[in-house]
Amino acid sequence: MSLGEKLMSIPKWVLYLILIVVASVPLFIKIPVPNTPLEPAIDLYGTLMNIPEGSTVLIASDWTKSTRGESNGHFDALMKILMRKKIKACIYSSGDPQAPQVARDAIGVLNMERKAKGLPPYQRWNDWITVGYFPNAEACANAIANNVRVAFGGKTDYTPEGTSRDVFQSPVLKDIRKVSDFKLMMVITASKTSNITIERVYGKGVDLAMMVTGVMGPESLPYYSSGQLKGLAVGLKGVYDLEQMLESGITPGMSAKWGTVPGFPGDSNIGNGTRYYPTLHFCLTLLILAVIVGNVGMALSRKKAA
Amino acid sequence: MDNYTKFKLALGVVATIGLYTVLYRENRFYRFVEHVFLGLASGWALVTLWTETLKEKWWDRMVGVASANGDPGIPGYWAFILLLPIGLMGYFVFSRKHNWLSRIPIGIILGLWSGQQIQVWFNRYGPQMRDSMKPIFPTTTDSIFVPMPPVAPDGASPDQLANVAAETARISANVYPTEALTNLVYVFTLLAVLSYFLFSFEIKGKFLRGMTTSGRWLLMIGFGAIFGSTVMMRFTLLIDRMYFIWIEFLKQGILGG
Repeated sequence: MSLGEKLMSIPKWVLYLILIVVASVPLFIKIPVPNTPLEPAIDLYGTLMNIPEGSTVLIASDWTKSTRGESNGHFDALMKILMRKKIKACIYSSGDPQAPQVARDAIGVLNMERKAKGLPPYQRWNDWITVGYFPNAEACANAIANNVRVAFGGKTDYTPEGTSRDVFQSPVLKDIRKVSDFKLMMVITASKTSNITIERVYGKGVDLAMMVTGVMGPESLPYYSSGQLKGLAVGLKGVYDLEQMLESGITPGMSAKWGTVPGFPGDSNIGNGTRYYPTLHFCLTLLILAVIVGNVGMALSRKKAA
Repeated sequence: MDNYTKFKLALGVVATIGLYTVLYRENRFYRFVEHVFLGLASGWALVTLWTETLKEKWWDRMVGVASANGDPGIPGYWAFILLLPIGLMGYFVFSRKHNWLSRIPIGIILGLWSGQQIQVWFNRYGPQMRDSMKPIFPTTTDSIFVPMPPVAPDGASPDQLANVAAETARISANVYPTEALTNLVYVFTLLAVLSYFLFSFEIKGKFLRGMTTSGRWLLMIGFGAIFGSTVMMRFTLLIDRMYFIWIEFLKQGILGG
């Protein structure tokens, strides 16, 4: 067997084993990766940081554990900003029945972090509510755009005392009459609910922003460049950008639009982005090497055959 | 970490490994884990549909809810019962004799959906078409690159703030050479890709043929970028599972690190 044939016939299990090792070992080592946040993520951070304290944002949390690697990082970064800036959040889901519970659990983890640091929790009912799952994304977005009081009418959530009450009695939604009363509508998604939201809610007087998975990134970028979105975070790079800005803010020279926006230095800003980003570089290097090895093997095999 | 949490994490690890065994080959362990997941997801969806949707949005509105805990009550409205037979008609799709009945709810849904499409289409693509009209000639050569606007110092006077605002407005009103070049690349890509889809007539002209070929190449580059982004996401999901197994379960759970 020639070298070319040997390179072309590396057993599948060997490749998987190498991949698992490469995707695991760097997780144990802290490797700083230099980074320049992208403009869509800078705009997202700037938009979030300019929301006045006490106002309410609407969050479409359409992710589950299946995209935890990316979406959980997006959600955590978003909620950290909202919690620290004392911004209220109304959460709904139309992408997956598991999504509302996943969002509740993620907030629970962040609240445990706050509790450990002696900070007050981001309290359900007073600071955030969830209006639950809506099985048809098109109808849901349409209803929200037309009349948010009807869309969320009849929905209940729990007070700190454990009583189930109408969501419009909560401090989060008491001043909300129409969708434009929300300071921002944020979509965190791993599916096409981003497109559906743009189609139905854009132009209704509320600013839109998105946090999408790497797969959704390329199709979401035109929305950002056309001004339909005020900000966009894509995939793990988006998470890493946000975590970096959570630590150091938007510094002079980074953005002509925002100038300087403060971060939260020294706070618990590290999340999935910082944890996974170096490992991703190792995996991508492996992929590039595998492509080179495969092509060299094929070239050598052809040369021998000729 | 308590034993119950460790047990839950261990189950998660077993399920993760079980699902990854399909990479070796199709096997019973994989099938078992897959079916457990499907069963759990279906059961969860069924309960959620009732508790978070049907009960609050349909049942409570039909039978009414009494005022309690300071909340206003919801008066019952009998007409909501009419939604039930309309919805159930959908199940006649399984009957050969009466499957025409299933077309009624499907028709209603299709009608509602189709009626929205003009607005939906324009909401989605209108701003993108408007944004495609980009200036391709520079309006100033003061600077090759777009200059950074000045930043007002802390405690700036109103005059200083006004100067900063005026300078920022002047910068954003101009088209700088690098900006124009970027716009030119954008507009060329747009026209080249659009010309690639001219299938209605034979393309004979050298210029148009060049444009369609460029369009095909640019599309390929775009597809490559999309594929690269997809691969990065798949890697991230794998890394997350490895983090769950090695760090969350083994290091923090079992070893207490």
